[in-house]
Amino acid sequence: MKKAKIWQAVFLALVCSILIVGCSSKESGGNTGKSSKSKDMVIAVNENFISMDPHNTGDTNSNSVQSAMLEGLLGFDRDGKIINVLATDYSVSDDALEYTFKLRQDVKFHDGTPFNAEAVKVNIERIMNDEGLRLNSRGFNQIAKVEILDDFQIKVVLKAPYSSMLTRFVSAKMISPKMIKENSAEIAKKPVGTGPFKFVEWVQGDHLTVERNDEYWEKGDRVKKITYKPVPENGSRVAMLKTGEASVIYPLPQQNINELKNNKDVVIDKVPSTIARYVSINTMKKPFNDLRVRQALNYAVSKDAFIKVVNSGFGLPLDSAIPSKTLYYSKQELYKQDIDKAKELLKEAGYPDGFKAEIWGNTNSDTMKGMQFIQQQLKEIGVDVEIKSMEEGTLSDEIYGAQTPKDAKVQMWYVSWSSYASDVTNATRPLFHSDSFPPDGANTAYYKNADVDKWMNTADATGDENEKAELYKNVQSTIYKDAPWIFLGVDEILAGKRTNVEGVNIDPTGGIVVKDAHFK
Amino acid sequence: MLRYIGKRIIEMIPILFIVTVLVFLFTHLIPGDPARLVAGKDATLEEVNNVRAQMGLDQPIWKQYFTYMGSLFQGDLGTSLKTGLPVSAMFIDRFMPSIYLTLFSMGWALVIGLLIGTISAVFKNKWPDYLGMVTAVSGISLPGFWLGLILIQIFSVQLGWLPTGGSEGWKSYVLPSITLGAGIMSMLARFTRSSLLDTLKADFIRTGRAKGLKESVIIPKHALRNSLISVVTIAGLQFGFLLGGSVVVETVFSFPGMGRLLIDSISFRDYPVIQAELLLFSVEFILVNLVVDILYSLLNPKIRYVS
Repeated sequence: MKKAKIWQAVFLALVCSILIVGCSSKESGGNTGKSSKSKDMVIAVNENFISMDPHNTGDTNSNSVQSAMLEGLLGFDRDGKIINVLATDYSVSDDALEYTFKLRQDVKFHDGTPFNAEAVKVNIERIMNDEGLRLNSRGFNQIAKVEILDDFQIKVVLKAPYSSMLTRFVSAKMISPKMIKENSAEIAKKPVGTGPFKFVEWVQGDHLTVERNDEYWEKGDRVKKITYKPVPENGSRVAMLKTGEASVIYPLPQQNINELKNNKDVVIDKVPSTIARYVSINTMKKPFNDLRVRQALNYAVSKDAFIKVVNSGFGLPLDSAIPSKTLYYSKQELYKQDIDKAKELLKEAGYPDGFKAEIWGNTNSDTMKGMQFIQQQLKEIGVDVEIKSMEEGTLSDEIYGAQTPKDAKVQMWYVSWSSYASDVTNATRPLFHSDSFPPDGANTAYYKNADVDKWMNTADATGDENEKAELYKNVQSTIYKDAPWIFLGVDEILAGKRTNVEGVNIDPTGGIVVKDAHFK
Repeated sequence: MLRYIGKRIIEMIPILFIVTVLVFLFTHLIPGDPARLVAGKDATLEEVNNVRAQMGLDQPIWKQYFTYMGSLFQGDLGTSLKTGLPVSAMFIDRFMPSIYLTLFSMGWALVIGLLIGTISAVFKNKWPDYLGMVTAVSGISLPGFWLGLILIQIFSVQLGWLPTGGSEGWKSYVLPSITLGAGIMSMLARFTRSSLLDTLKADFIRTGRAKGLKESVIIPKHALRNSLISVVTIAGLQFGFLLGGSVVVETVFSFPGMGRLLIDSISFRDYPVIQAELLLFSVEFILVNLVVDILYSLLNPKIRYVS
């Protein structure tokens, strides 16, 4: 019995200690965490970085980190307008075949190699010649030759006009030519560029650190070190912002906005994005081949309710075929929710009692919410929607497996498109040009309009800005009227920052700009 | 004994060979096209086909398998389709943190689990038993992500004692290993209890007691040791699973482990990474099983292995 008491005592002690730890936590409510004055800035993002090779990157977060270390000839300002970075001036010939750049003369790569026309040539030729690089298939295979005019002037000649070429020069960030020649296998791991920060280390899955480049060509107040961390769980990312472990988090989850609103240590950034949300409608399938049906679907859905219900109130109605931060955007008259008008249109089209249809989407919980919303809205006009959600890989096979429009089984697809920055070609051609039917692109509406095709082709082949603007105006108004999509919304991007952080901005693509990052 | 271990290790080779075939087939036959995912959704068919050819995915599948096996024999795990980095480079930073996390979680879960299980069995149907089993049931029932977030809320946000995640220093291992170990601790406690209760009914225990042996000798030396066989089996299985990484815990604590890498790779159809990870897990599992078998013989001298 005596032994038994000892055992009991041990057990009791164990339980007590657990309880004490548990209870004591309630007493203190103080926010501690790391000192805000420490010289390192931590930026937490939602996904792992994929690659540091700027010529072979497609994801936003890798791009963000790269932009701290690497620069292109051109860049984007906060509204998506193209600006000079390593170029001081550029011109495009009228036939849109020749691009001439004047270069900055006071720039050095992090390894000491000078930046000049030769360096640009080495970079562009790397992309032109290596078919394994993503950028290669994005315009750079259209380049015929690169000519050095003098030490700081270079001319790029295309085989055929390619309208996105300027934005390609933004993404073609410059790597040290020494690295390209001697050590190209390391580019994806630790790139050497000209940017305001230099690479320090990348621990896979954990963090990537950069430090200030004291020889950067533009003087400014910058933090000594920045550490980027992938933190996929929303709750954990928010906790890091609260404790001060992270100075900046992106994206800030919509559902956490209320708990942070009253936190005086945190500010919230809200930026309209280039992400369009829509349902593509297969315009070659019955009953969707009837314009009145497609318009009826558009009139049946309330954009405001969509933004409120599905996007937690953060978004703008999609009032054109492209988001407002895209170049040459022109606002259209919104399809305001009008159930009577929608029913009327369905009746005219011969479907007074509605019809049955199928909507596809991935298994993401936000997508499910969106599809249920569409289902409920379309029920109002008698359209009975069946939801079919599929794992991403399967979905992709179903969509791109169709070799001709006739094979296509897709009726409606709930999806989004994030175009490359403000690039209008990328926001239209893969989605609305008849050359872009799957598997050749993402025109899953199988939308075909000879005028729209022609306008896009002409716009691609001209260097004249005014003509382009005019053509894209026609493109947008025609597509909006033809309603190959149910136009829903444009996301607003949210990011959270500690109040002592200055000079960190989120751009419309979700990129994090840190050129002037510092603490107050 | 050494011969036995040697034999078991040689037996691994055909098993691993079968694993490579199965894993290769599974990864390549599930729907989803990595070339399409790499090329991007606005890519034309021609671009997708170029990417596919570069990845060698346009070859017949048996040919791809032989190419893969060829480089595997030279110790090359391949190159990730998604990142373009060698698979081994992606593993290096993740492997050791995963091992440490497994050891920490398993370590405390074993100690506490055995303790609670033993106390519960000794005090069957008295309050320590009830308390122990309530703890065990809660440990199993609490979902990992919830427990993890609560721990972060208390210890990182409110108290500021521990970091919310990462893998730097022992501090960042505390919360993830508590979260990961909670379920296992509970399971071990319950197994220990029931197994010990069975043993305590056995004749040799009664004989021992009749002989006048003290409870403090009977319980740990005679009863517990004989009850451990089933506990070791369960612990071994759990250990094997833990080595495979835990997606939930790694996600909640932004921990650079193998589990999240696997999930990311599956959604991207990153064949070389999936294959290498599954192969590694198989090796780990087989090794853990071997250790479990050896532990059996140490616990119960009646179990002896002859080669």
